[in-house]
Amino acid sequence: MKVLATYNIKGGVGKTSTAVNLAYLAAREGRRTLLWDLDPQAAATFLFRVRPRVKGGGRALVTRKRPLEAAIKATDFENLDLLPADFSYRNMDLELDDTKKRTTRLSQLLRSVDDDYDIVFLDCPPSISLVSENVLHASDTLLVPLIPATLSLRTFGQLTRFVADSQENPPEVVAFFSMADRRKRLHRDVIDAISREHTRIADTVVPSLSIIEQMAEHRAPVPAFAPTSRAARCYEQLWAEVRPRAPEAAGHQSDRSAP
Amino acid sequence: MLTPVPALQAPDGSHLDLDALVDALSSDFAVSAGGKRLVHRTRLDTFDGRLRAAGLTLQHETTASTERLVLSGPDVASTIVAHVTDLGWPALAGALPDSPVRDAVAPVADIRALLVVADQRRRVRRLELRNKDEKTVARLELDEPTGASTDAAVVTVHALRGYEDQARRATRLLTGLGLRPAEEGGEPDSGPEESTPTIERDAPATKLIAMELGEFLSAMRENLPGLLDDVDTEFLHDFRVAVRRTRSTLKLGRPVLPPDMQSRWEPAFKWLGDVTTPVRDLDVYELELPTMSGWLVGADAGDLQPFAAHLRRRRAVQRRALVRGLRSVRYQRLDAGWEQALAELAASEDEQPSAGELADRSISKAYRRVVRDGAAISASSPAEDLHGLRKRCKELRYALEVFAPVIDKDSRKTAIADLKDLQDVLGRFQDSEVQRHSLREFAEEMMAAGTPAQVVLAMGELVGHLDAEQDRAREDFEGAFARFVRPSSDRRMRELGGRR
Repeated sequence: MKVLATYNIKGGVGKTSTAVNLAYLAAREGRRTLLWDLDPQAAATFLFRVRPRVKGGGRALVTRKRPLEAAIKATDFENLDLLPADFSYRNMDLELDDTKKRTTRLSQLLRSVDDDYDIVFLDCPPSISLVSENVLHASDTLLVPLIPATLSLRTFGQLTRFVADSQENPPEVVAFFSMADRRKRLHRDVIDAISREHTRIADTVVPSLSIIEQMAEHRAPVPAFAPTSRAARCYEQLWAEVRPRAPEAAGHQSDRSAP
Repeated sequence: MLTPVPALQAPDGSHLDLDALVDALSSDFAVSAGGKRLVHRTRLDTFDGRLRAAGLTLQHETTASTERLVLSGPDVASTIVAHVTDLGWPALAGALPDSPVRDAVAPVADIRALLVVADQRRRVRRLELRNKDEKTVARLELDEPTGASTDAAVVTVHALRGYEDQARRATRLLTGLGLRPAEEGGEPDSGPEESTPTIERDAPATKLIAMELGEFLSAMRENLPGLLDDVDTEFLHDFRVAVRRTRSTLKLGRPVLPPDMQSRWEPAFKWLGDVTTPVRDLDVYELELPTMSGWLVGADAGDLQPFAAHLRRRRAVQRRALVRGLRSVRYQRLDAGWEQALAELAASEDEQPSAGELADRSISKAYRRVVRDGAAISASSPAEDLHGLRKRCKELRYALEVFAPVIDKDSRKTAIADLKDLQDVLGRFQDSEVQRHSLREFAEEMMAAGTPAQVVLAMGELVGHLDAEQDRAREDFEGAFARFVRPSSDRRMRELGGRR
């Protein structure tokens, strides 16, 4: 099971759109996929028409009173399940702080669904917090949407330092430009000038497109309601860049001679 | 994700009325019915039914606009679906698009190709059941036969994770209409299955031999189409096993068989064995190449690529000769004439000796020869002597298998397990011997064709590994033979040979 988190300290950069669309694409190619909407704003949960409610709230999950599996809901799409957001997630920092292994609890919880899913997406709230630290521990890859603007890059610098300082084996950070507008000179300049020396920047740039905003209207991922749109193609390209590779199929065995 | 529950059908298996279903469900759900889609369902398995044996069901479903693989089975947490394009069969599972379906199927199918084992066309209509939030909470599939088929129409309720209670509610509404769980259909075309024929010990030996030879002829015929189409390597392998068993049975049956079996049919099947050998030998190399690559220490696995290409070219040439041989008039005459000869053998009225007597005599003789030749092997014996002993072991193994219907089942099983250990050691020795010689031959051919030195050096490493493996097998021989002739094993073999 591979865990990918869409994360940024800044809000409104396209984290949820990315998580929802890439999770849909992973599921579409047959991977058993779970999306955990960790953001109490519950945008991903809303997009999948699931009620933003977990029995017992975040506390029940964190304290294991309620198993993770029991809170999971199927979406309307094959192979794609959702662990919904709950408004109580706003207190998740406090709940985690009360537990013994406070920075690795989410990782422990996810182990209980290890056999059920090939890929888990974590859609994270925008912050630097105990939840974020847990996300870093639990993830194999951190997908960071960046708006091509100076302040956004500054925040990205903070984020990479936070990741580097967080643990011995930090997740791979893959940033990509999101909500980009090539008509804006600043956007073009930032995209061209960013240093790829220390960070992996995906080649795919997801533009600012109204069809992405229409996800809230259709309550579905872009490739589901507009499969031939430019936005759908962008997310497909992004997924092709960041998708975890499956292990090789088992080797052949030969049976040289019959008895 | 979907968790299927048993399908429902009308009590008399007749047509299901969509409007009646929708009416019943509308009391609790917003129901939307999709259009009818013609679904072509192809069930896939290997020729020897490996998926079925592993409890897996793999279907390739195509509609006008979609194509997908659907895998279900006990070891799969739920049904796995992978969207695919332009798949054709037969195909090796390893060549399927990268997906969890491939990950689950490839280790099971291994080197066998996936073939179409059942094929049906159905008209399928999907119904979505939604709650007040317009969230889909259950799905139904109304699945009807096409054309003049008399199969029952069925409706399946698929529960969605986290909404299982809604699926139960939908099922209750449908059973309220009088629907009942659908009858399980029989599995069509389950493929060949191994079975031990039954025959009494005092039945004529010719009857047992005719029956066994008939089984081998059937196996050859079953494997011939896949062999000619080169579906996977195991069709040729299994064909050769049947040929080899035929040859051994003819040899074992010499005391009771008519003279023309030895004069006409033994050479005929030797020819067939010889025709099929070159391609099988090359198949073995190709199958073992990934393992061989792992032996390399100094060289890189990529250095063996030209060797792999050389093998493929040689195989293409040899395969043409093989196909010519098996499509020849000579082969057709062999097949037809052999069937006729077996019919005559089965009809012969020779009562003596009995199958039991011949079994005792054959097993006893084959065992004595293994013990005699094995005892003569020393650390300095030439490779031919070990090869000779390997042949004696095979004769004993075939005797235990051919006469299986008339000897004690448990003793036979243990005896074969004992013998197998010895055969494995001798097999390792002889395979190393043959492969070393072939590798040298290949290397000479490739050098003459201007192959770079690093390739030949890599092949040299393989020869070195095989040398060491052969030495290890020789060292292991003494222990394996001692175990084979230990008192308990010796007693068992003598009992199987009729000395009680």
